[in-house]
Amino acid sequence: MNPFQDILVFVVVVPGVIFGVFALLWLLGWVPSERLMSSITGVTFSACTAGVAVLIWKIGSASNVSVSLGSWFAVGNYHFPLLLMADRLSTPFLALAAVLSGLIGQFSATYLHRESGFLRFFLLLHLFAFGSLLAFAAGSFDLLAAGWEIVGITSVLLIGFFDQRRAPVENGLYVFGIYRACDIGLLVGIFAMHHWAGTASFSGGFPTLTGARAVIVCLLLLLAASGKAAQVPFSGWLPRAMEGPTPSSAVFYGAISIHAGAYLLLRAQPLLAQSRLASILVVLIGATTAVHGTIVGRASADAKTSLAYATLTQVGIIFIEIGLGWRWLAIAHILGNATVRTMQYLRAPSMLHDYHQMHSAVGGEFSPTGAQIEEMLPARVQLWLYRWALDRGHLDTILERWVITPLLQVSAYLSRSERTRTASPTIVRPEDPVPVSVAGPAQRGD
Amino acid sequence: MAIPGWVIHAPVLTGASVAAPWLAAVVLSVSRRQARVVGCIAALLSAMASTALVWRAPQGESLYETLMLLFSCLTFGAVVLLPRRDAEAGIIAGILVLLGSTLLAYSTGNLLVLLGAWILSIIPFLWAGRFHSPKWRPMVALLSSSLAIALAIGFIIARTGVSSISHLKGQSPGGVVAFTLLIVAAIFRKGIIPAQAWVADAAESGPLVPTALLLNGHFGALLVVKLIVPLFPETDHLFPVLSYLAIATAVFVAIRALAENSPRRLLAFLALSQSACILSGLESRTAEGITGALVHWVVVAVSTVGLFGILRLLEVRFGENLSASKYLGLAEHSPRLAVSFVILGLALVGLPGTLGFCSLDLLIQGTLTTHPLTGLLLPIATAMNAVSFFRLFSRLFLGKRRTGFTVMADALPRERWILAAIVLFVVLGGLFPNATVIEHSSEVDVVDEAISTFDNLNRNRSTGYVDNNLSMNVRHLHLSATSMDTAKVDHAQDRPTGVHR
Repeated sequence: MNPFQDILVFVVVVPGVIFGVFALLWLLGWVPSERLMSSITGVTFSACTAGVAVLIWKIGSASNVSVSLGSWFAVGNYHFPLLLMADRLSTPFLALAAVLSGLIGQFSATYLHRESGFLRFFLLLHLFAFGSLLAFAAGSFDLLAAGWEIVGITSVLLIGFFDQRRAPVENGLYVFGIYRACDIGLLVGIFAMHHWAGTASFSGGFPTLTGARAVIVCLLLLLAASGKAAQVPFSGWLPRAMEGPTPSSAVFYGAISIHAGAYLLLRAQPLLAQSRLASILVVLIGATTAVHGTIVGRASADAKTSLAYATLTQVGIIFIEIGLGWRWLAIAHILGNATVRTMQYLRAPSMLHDYHQMHSAVGGEFSPTGAQIEEMLPARVQLWLYRWALDRGHLDTILERWVITPLLQVSAYLSRSERTRTASPTIVRPEDPVPVSVAGPAQRGD
Repeated sequence: MAIPGWVIHAPVLTGASVAAPWLAAVVLSVSRRQARVVGCIAALLSAMASTALVWRAPQGESLYETLMLLFSCLTFGAVVLLPRRDAEAGIIAGILVLLGSTLLAYSTGNLLVLLGAWILSIIPFLWAGRFHSPKWRPMVALLSSSLAIALAIGFIIARTGVSSISHLKGQSPGGVVAFTLLIVAAIFRKGIIPAQAWVADAAESGPLVPTALLLNGHFGALLVVKLIVPLFPETDHLFPVLSYLAIATAVFVAIRALAENSPRRLLAFLALSQSACILSGLESRTAEGITGALVHWVVVAVSTVGLFGILRLLEVRFGENLSASKYLGLAEHSPRLAVSFVILGLALVGLPGTLGFCSLDLLIQGTLTTHPLTGLLLPIATAMNAVSFFRLFSRLFLGKRRTGFTVMADALPRERWILAAIVLFVVLGGLFPNATVIEHSSEVDVVDEAISTFDNLNRNRSTGYVDNNLSMNVRHLHLSATSMDTAKVDHAQDRPTGVHR
């Protein structure tokens, strides 16, 4: 391996190694001090940032850096390639992940000082950085999926960071459900690539798929991307994810995790270009999300939720750009949106305090913010729209009523029917009413 | 001092691995003192003998030896992990009987011995006492499976007069009747639809850790690997039925788990749903599917024994009325148990970085190749299981800290070391799957059996259809053998195969 390949491997692996070593030591009974943990975090991400800088210089002056570490596992004709790649698409994302993770680490050392979950947060930050760096540096969709899943589970564990309260934990579970459901698209999409193209690797050229096969794979990847990027109809999880600590909200839902879906579509763009249907769907989903985000965001009462919907609006626009094939505009948009939103999220906790101070300082006379575009609508439409926005476009309600509740009802029905048969084989006599049939109408009545 | 040659003979080692736990069980029935120590020593002896068997087995033919080693180690870990309340002579003796009979079933090549081991493995659970489940379904299922396999084996021996499995390979002994009876036995023992409910009943009302060991002997899957696949190539058109039932079980039980609030039942559902995937992988008849199934066998066994063990530790510390209907906040008291629980659970449902990811990836690839539509249900079932597991974890460990009792111990040192070993196994196994499990367990042993099955199939069919998919899979399997084991290939090339013709 040449030095650049070593650097690429180093950048991806180091946060994972730090996570593994410290987690194991903790499991065996050792608890590192806050100072040690934050110092190691600083050193780790500084080194990663320096490594990415070298890679950017290399890619700018010459060619891509790719490194094959063999197969993670191989059976028959199927193998899971450990292929890392830094090219013009992945390097900006690698830089984003390394720099922002480091910044969040430094910010959190103070922000979470003496918090009971300090160590947990930093371990999860390292795991998240490892997952995102792995996803962005992956040279195949298989490896990308591995990083993708790690980002997902870390995200969920951080949403439930304040585990003493019920809401963060329940919201974490909700987000986990959405992630898992949408990730089926990624898994099956990768299988379809293996099955039809013989590979899911894109480092030596994109898997060759045409016609209906390309459309199917694109749609499956779009499902996964929409889930991760909180696009309509999966947008309901994003405000719920704001229950986590602000630094994690910043790096996950302002910067990296929320843009991972866009990254997946950018990676799959050669395939997307062959499927007009999928491209149109990407544009439609993006446009719907942008409109949804901007309307709902205007009715949000708290700073983090407003920011979440502002981010969502921009990600929707980024989807439109990707659907239209404006690749480089989308990348620039992602970089700009991610950095600005991270700053805004980190600023959010102190913003109100500063605002009140400024308000007092100028004698209680702030100039109004100006006319809002929605004021141009008729009053009745404004009212309807306001109600619609307050319920966040009814997306959660629809999902709950048409997917979650029926599934739980089926499960409860099976449970009841099983228990009535479990009690004893002689308990249900022929003349007895069948308990199962009673359960049906009662549930519908619910 | 040199080891005498006869000591390392396979029959001696196998005998030692089986006899050690049985002898220890006899000792415990006479003297009830130091039960945990006796159990640990016996399990350790079995593990050492199994290690020697793995070591001396030819490369690529160590599947059953590896499974013996796995089950011995699991039993050792379970005995160490047992809370003091459960570490009594009766329970440990039952566990040792189960260990001996499971190892015997893995190692035997004789139908009658397999039947004996099968029946012996359920004896502790039929006995009145702490092993006995007061519910009727576990007993009915276990007895039905024993009856079915006894009839099948009786039928085979009556028709052929042969009890050696190797002599019966590819002959479809007993025809459809024996095949159907074996399938019924596998269905009852494995908890496949429509006999799925006994597993949760056994976990709910029986002893938790021994039940986990009973389930993780995976006798149903063993029956498929050892008898059904190699013996019945002519009934291949019926075999996918088992796969469909397994996939249906995975989905049905995953849905059933969504609203379950009893932690014991919920964990049993998750274990059952995930282990049902094993059968569909074995039936997929692709190298990926079979290998994935075998690795998943290991993952399910290791992670569910760990999960059930942790749940039992929680019950002992915090009361046996734990429920997933409310947040209990136990992580505040037991953070290490919480972390071990979440890692093992996520390994069970295929988190990247754990061995479960590799096994499910292979398994789903294999199943989707053979059954593109029904196979789609497997990732859906796994996703639902992941949600159910995370709900269970959240309810048990997160939420407001439970008050009303004094400080409870987190994992004790002996528990901590065992849990760390299990967690390390699933994590290191996931990071280096080629170096740990895949090279050893999935090597071409069973795959080779599948090859011979297909070879026989092709040889026996002078005309008629040979599915493109099937022939492609044969090529896959052959390539797999080529890349894994040259000596094996030499052996394979000696046979008249459909591929070579």
